[in-house]
Amino acid sequence: MQEKLEYIIDTITKRNVLHGKKLKNLLTQVDINYRKRAELFFERYERFLIKNQKTLDFAIDCYLQMLADVSYETIQFVKTGQYSNSSFEDVNERVYNNPELMTGYLHGLILRQFLFPQNYKILMFFNSIIKKNENNITDYLEIGGGHGLFLSEALSILNSDVNYTLIDISKSALDFSRAFIDSPKVTYIASDVFKYKSRVRYDFITMGEVLEHVENPVELLKAVKQLLKKEGKLFITTVTNAPAIDHVYLFRNAREIREVIVKAGFSIKDELDVWSEDMPPEKAEKMNISMMYAALLTI
Amino acid sequence: MDKSNIIIEVSKIFNEVLDRDDIVLNESTTANDIEEWDSLAHIHLVVAIERYFKIRFTSKEIQSWDNLGELVDSIQKKL
Repeated sequence: MQEKLEYIIDTITKRNVLHGKKLKNLLTQVDINYRKRAELFFERYERFLIKNQKTLDFAIDCYLQMLADVSYETIQFVKTGQYSNSSFEDVNERVYNNPELMTGYLHGLILRQFLFPQNYKILMFFNSIIKKNENNITDYLEIGGGHGLFLSEALSILNSDVNYTLIDISKSALDFSRAFIDSPKVTYIASDVFKYKSRVRYDFITMGEVLEHVENPVELLKAVKQLLKKEGKLFITTVTNAPAIDHVYLFRNAREIREVIVKAGFSIKDELDVWSEDMPPEKAEKMNISMMYAALLTI
Repeated sequence: MDKSNIIIEVSKIFNEVLDRDDIVLNESTTANDIEEWDSLAHIHLVVAIERYFKIRFTSKEIQSWDNLGELVDSIQKKL
């Protein structure tokens, strides 16, 4: 029987030769456990799709649509040097409040976690951070949980007595993550993080790919700081030079991200950056290639 | 501009963007025929073509081309 990873790569390559060329190099850029982990993920993900009367081919359609949208946005970005969005409210109305668009987008994003080497590496970095902190987490919060994969990974690593909360501004994302995570241990809340009032202060907060979605990332980090215990930890990921249908704030390099972190009153305890293209860093920097950045922060 | 002239101009753009001097395109050329034509190069090719011909492709068009002939058709429709 053909493995799921092989089927997905073959199907994508038949429909998008250019991206197929990139996927051909995927296995040379990831760790030795990748294939096993990817198969386990794709098997679980396919069960989730079937439960929702959908197929792997539907998910591949969503992934290809996401790539098409990113290509279009990237062409405009190369020409103008700016993201096409400048207002969070516009994106909120057009993307997060559009169930059909948002659900398709989330399927594209969750597949990307195992098809883009940089996203896979960031996920593995997250897992290692969670493992290192497992004895210090009782109250766990994820802000902008999206498809729910990160919280799902935390659930599989942490002790059974942890309280989990996931907030997201998009109802479609909450429906998606609730169905994907499929655990009674998680409380799901529809909220803008700026309006989220909680009596609980959290030991650990995850906020993956959210900073680039707001107009003022310093204010966002300051709001998150209010939700964290004094000795709590915040795990963030974000991207540089990565145009997308819902990206608002443009980080041009990792230095700009670090400046925002420090301005908001956080210290960086650990970090990882991964270029999206397999090329020398000097060349990637010169060409404004997108970089994924992740960091563990403390107050 | 007729198709053959568009292909000549697009060939020049391919050679410049992909840093080669030996690319000769025809209507059936695909990304499989040119090693350097990958997703990143594609972005820069489209930008260069749009600038040269002073046109703008839609998101749908950019993903729809299976070969160079289809790209040339899209250009021709906009001139």
